[in-house]
Amino acid sequence: MKIFKIPLLFILVIGCDPFVTEFSETENAVMYKASNIPGDSDVYDDGALKVVTWNIRFGSGRFPFFGDSCGDEVISENSDVKLIMQAIADTLNKIDADIVLLQEVDVSSKRTGYLDQVQYLLENTYLNYGCYASMWKADFIPTDGIGKINTGNAILSRYEITEAERVELRLRTDQDDLIQYFYLRRNILKAKIPSLAQSGKDFFAVDIHATAFATDDTKQQHLIKYSEVLSEIANNNGVFVSGGDLNSVPPNSTVDFCMLDKCDSEKYVDSEGSESEYHSIDSSAGPHKEGAFFDNFEGEPDILQPLYNNYSAAISHANGSTLDSSNYTHAPSTSYERHDIKYDRKLDYLFTNGSWEDGSGYTHQEAWALSDHMPVSAIFIPVFEQEL
Amino acid sequence: MKYLQIILALTFSSNLIFSMSGSWNANSASILENKKWEVGLFQPFRYGYSEKVEYSVHPIVFFVMPNMSIKKEEKNWKGFNAASSLSFRYPTPLLNILSRKGIGGLLDPNLNLPPMLGVSYSWIISKPLKYFDLTITNGLDFGLVYGSLKKSSTIDLPLVFHRLSIFNNGWGYHGGIDIQKPLLKNFSVLIDLDLLLLPNLDKAQSNPSFEKMRGNYSLEHKFLLSWSKSQKFRVTTGYKLVHAEFPFGEQTRLLPYMPLIEKWVPIVELQWSGIKRGKGQKLDPEKWLKKK
Repeated sequence: MKIFKIPLLFILVIGCDPFVTEFSETENAVMYKASNIPGDSDVYDDGALKVVTWNIRFGSGRFPFFGDSCGDEVISENSDVKLIMQAIADTLNKIDADIVLLQEVDVSSKRTGYLDQVQYLLENTYLNYGCYASMWKADFIPTDGIGKINTGNAILSRYEITEAERVELRLRTDQDDLIQYFYLRRNILKAKIPSLAQSGKDFFAVDIHATAFATDDTKQQHLIKYSEVLSEIANNNGVFVSGGDLNSVPPNSTVDFCMLDKCDSEKYVDSEGSESEYHSIDSSAGPHKEGAFFDNFEGEPDILQPLYNNYSAAISHANGSTLDSSNYTHAPSTSYERHDIKYDRKLDYLFTNGSWEDGSGYTHQEAWALSDHMPVSAIFIPVFEQEL
Repeated sequence: MKYLQIILALTFSSNLIFSMSGSWNANSASILENKKWEVGLFQPFRYGYSEKVEYSVHPIVFFVMPNMSIKKEEKNWKGFNAASSLSFRYPTPLLNILSRKGIGGLLDPNLNLPPMLGVSYSWIISKPLKYFDLTITNGLDFGLVYGSLKKSSTIDLPLVFHRLSIFNNGWGYHGGIDIQKPLLKNFSVLIDLDLLLLPNLDKAQSNPSFEKMRGNYSLEHKFLLSWSKSQKFRVTTGYKLVHAEFPFGEQTRLLPYMPLIEKWVPIVELQWSGIKRGKGQKLDPEKWLKKK
């Protein structure tokens, strides 16, 4: 029997990778590097740093994906994905940011032809280093033809990333066990960039994609965890630039988009399968469409206020800029065809515990066709310049 | 009705693990004796039509994927018993069930799958050697499609991808070696190694500039332990190990693997056999006993 033990053990080890990956509370992120890093392109010259955050919607542009719009489609045409990814690369090259925080990046998904989009962007932009943390990794999702999926957050940088950590965010509690098993596992991606250390202070880039469709207090838990990660860096005398898709509107914003986002003949279905209408346009009493209502729990409309209080925002809330339509970053991808709306709310943000250059915060609404989110960029002033 | 269809589809999937296995010599060159039948929970129904011909059909899966196989004895070759096998399957109804919204949708619900016919031809030789029985199989598979088939109409799972991609690629090769050996009184083992090839599949994929559109081969190994309670009933358990190339790269997977508990669990297959008697005909045990 002994002779069989080693081969059997070998078989069990190599053949039993988890079907659906469940992550630990913290773990190392996946590191990336461009195949060619020219000369001293990754040497920091102590200058200002441009930072951008962008949910690139897995390179599908305004594709009517069933999961986040009123469309029915599942698998993008490979040629379309390639065109969109090239356009995203061109846009990043034009923005010319030093640090890029990305969300909804596919690295091995059937829906986008298994293109590793992190490596693709590193090969097609000036960016040299990257890290990736999956929020949804499964051999096969047996629903709606999704198949294999691996998608998540990525940080790309001109400068070398030496450590990157994936921090697990709490799972939704408004789902049954089976759906939760196959569903997203969101995270915060935290990357250290040593060459950007500011007067002896460690420099971090932190990327988040908070829950979009939870109807319980999951969003609150995600933002609490986010605040903990940021304050840990600040309390340890570190400097961060951070942002992402928080799936939350700024304080004092409109909170109810149910009737705008509702698809034709779509109805609310409760846990027992009974159907009813969403609330009328004159009422907010419920029921609400998932992902279209931002008052699911007490305090949700003001959930970002602590971030605005504690840190510097790229787009100021104090002067009302966050409520200006020129800073809207999102509308569902089919809103344009259905309501002639390209963007109608702000869900994407940049924060730092340092300082942004005055007036540098900008929402790139010209890129509206490349995703259902628009990039937001700003210029970070190095700490030693702030001290002068 | 839709849940029944999903169950039928999943039964087909389970069948893949034990399909073409050496259960009671299903995969050897031996022909089932005249009027003898065999069937299993996941195995097709086999019937000895004559001394030289047997046919098989998977009765449950037949409703979603009409299928049939005929095996015929051939002239001995260099001391080996020989047989040829021709099988047909029509997977379009099954794939249209699996192309759906919601749970159970293994394929894009926007696909409209055309009529497709799978044809497989195998040449099988078997010989009892000193310590074990050896079977060698070689064959070709053809996928005939009436209409256009989208390249995304694949199910990228072990065992399934390479068998369905015959319809994307047009043809493929299969071959294998089986070793079967009795152990103790009522126990026997089967160990096999199979190779499926889809030559030039990358050229059949939709966008060759996407680096990872692959899936040229599948290497499959199976280990089965069987206990025969009698000539009429047998229990089999074991594992299947697959190492294959898929559109996303290479993967090794031990089957059957249960996703929710994230563990391999040995499948248990129950098999029955019998003999069809004519009216008034008594069973002759000596004639019915199977030659080993």
